[in-house]
Amino acid sequence: MKFFFHINLFFLLSIQTSNTFAQNQIVADLSQENVKISTDFQGAKILLFGAYDGKKGDDIIVIVTGPKGLVTVQKKEKILGVWVNTRKVNYINTPKYLSISSNRRIDDILNKKTQKISEIGLNNLNIRMQPGIKVENEKQWRQALTRNMLKSNLWSINENSVSLNKDSLFRSFLGLPSNVITGQFEVKILHYRNSKLVSQQINSINVSKSGISAEIYDIAQNYSTLYGIFAVLLAVLVGWGSNLIFRKV
Amino acid sequence: MYYHNLRNNIENFMYIYLPIAEQPIHSLAILGIGAFLGLIMGLVGVGGGFLLTPLMMFLGIPPPVAVASVANQLVAPSVSGVLSHWKRSNVDFKMGTVLLLGGIVGSSIGVILFNFLGKVGQLDFVIKSSYVIFLTLIGSLMFSESLRLILRTRKGKVTRGKLHQHNWLHGLPFKIRFRKSKLYISVLLPILIGVIVGILAALMGIGGGFIIVPAMIYLLGMPTSLVVGTSLFQIIFVAANTTILQASQNHTVDIVLATILLLGSVIGVQLGSRFTNILKGEYLRLILSSIIILVSLMLLIDLITVPSDLFSVIISR
Repeated sequence: MKFFFHINLFFLLSIQTSNTFAQNQIVADLSQENVKISTDFQGAKILLFGAYDGKKGDDIIVIVTGPKGLVTVQKKEKILGVWVNTRKVNYINTPKYLSISSNRRIDDILNKKTQKISEIGLNNLNIRMQPGIKVENEKQWRQALTRNMLKSNLWSINENSVSLNKDSLFRSFLGLPSNVITGQFEVKILHYRNSKLVSQQINSINVSKSGISAEIYDIAQNYSTLYGIFAVLLAVLVGWGSNLIFRKV
Repeated sequence: MYYHNLRNNIENFMYIYLPIAEQPIHSLAILGIGAFLGLIMGLVGVGGGFLLTPLMMFLGIPPPVAVASVANQLVAPSVSGVLSHWKRSNVDFKMGTVLLLGGIVGSSIGVILFNFLGKVGQLDFVIKSSYVIFLTLIGSLMFSESLRLILRTRKGKVTRGKLHQHNWLHGLPFKIRFRKSKLYISVLLPILIGVIVGILAALMGIGGGFIIVPAMIYLLGMPTSLVVGTSLFQIIFVAANTTILQASQNHTVDIVLATILLLGSVIGVQLGSRFTNILKGEYLRLILSSIIILVSLMLLIDLITVPSDLFSVIISR
């Protein structure tokens, strides 16, 4: 009986595993799915780990995309000796956070054409200028967008940051900077073999404000006048209180 | 290891995430800056707003948040100051009320202007350049004045001027008697001063003390003993109005930043007023004016040097 049980268990397990990998599935999990921005927030580091049915030479690319929306690029020009913002271009559908991680150079994993088709890489994003805007040298503006997003750490390319183990396990650290914005972040894990997509999985991270910090932000947005009055009253109280305390000292 | 963890924890604890500025900042640095400016306020008697806002900008706080939060923090030392001046009967409430009526109109205009400049992307430039202009002006005036005073006292000559000079401004209509200030002047003059200072206060995150005090002495001809208390009285209301409007219109008041600053400043003010007798006023003014000129130079360099990147991005939240 006991023997059969073991056999059964072994059988079950092997079905389970063969099922999992038969369809070339990739399984992944995150050390943290909810990132809370509280008063002590200084950025977050999340561990992404999982298993894949790999062969030697397979590649993993991880793309984390934050909420998309409007990002404005401004250009300064010299007027009467001082540098002033003179022109601006609005980009719509722009990810406000983006990180592309891989186990080796992306150019070695995929050719340029595939990168473009799969929208992998900072220059292959589906970002558009707001309709109606006309500027000469469009490329220069688009480059400025990429350059500044990289500088603010909101966009990043982390080649060689996904570590692979025995062609079956992978892990990678995803870094969210302290200036990250709140919202839903999509974590896309792509498994390539000879530049062909074998399997993929999508996880998500939710970044939200929490604690006092979140409450203050909410109140400042939704009850703004009341918030202003409260801020003033607090200052009056401290001013008056300090006068009382220090007079007695 | 344990020690390291402990140190790490303390280090982390020092950082506070500012909910409106949306970035962490070292709380002791802010507290220290607040205390330093409070010290200057206590020692010299002028508000620290015009130094505080540029310092916040140097620390990386977005200028709109710096301006609005400094306006918020200014309320506290002003209340504290008025209370002690009131006790010594150094406040002309009638004059203060007329000034603050103008100030409320002015600061409301200022907040609207602030909002508009933000929309067209010129806010940083306007804030920085108005600082350069006013800091240079005030700094050099204060510098030469205190230098002259030091030289004069060294020579041992003390001269007394007239109570106040009369000029064409005193000939404007709608005259009112300000008994406390011993003035009979047109009500339009203090209102106009209030409006102008109010606009600047809202735009620059200042109380406007460094503009209104000379204006009260040289344009209105008020007795110097009443000037500081009365200007502080009107600053409370202008700063309060600015704070409420900035909060409701632009959502830029960071109450956490303001609270840390004001805690530092009220302590600094008290310490400062205790040390007043140690250092001579004119020497203090000389030091302060040098700091002011230095800050304005730093801002000027920022405006005229070729930016490392001509392009910048704004991420709408």
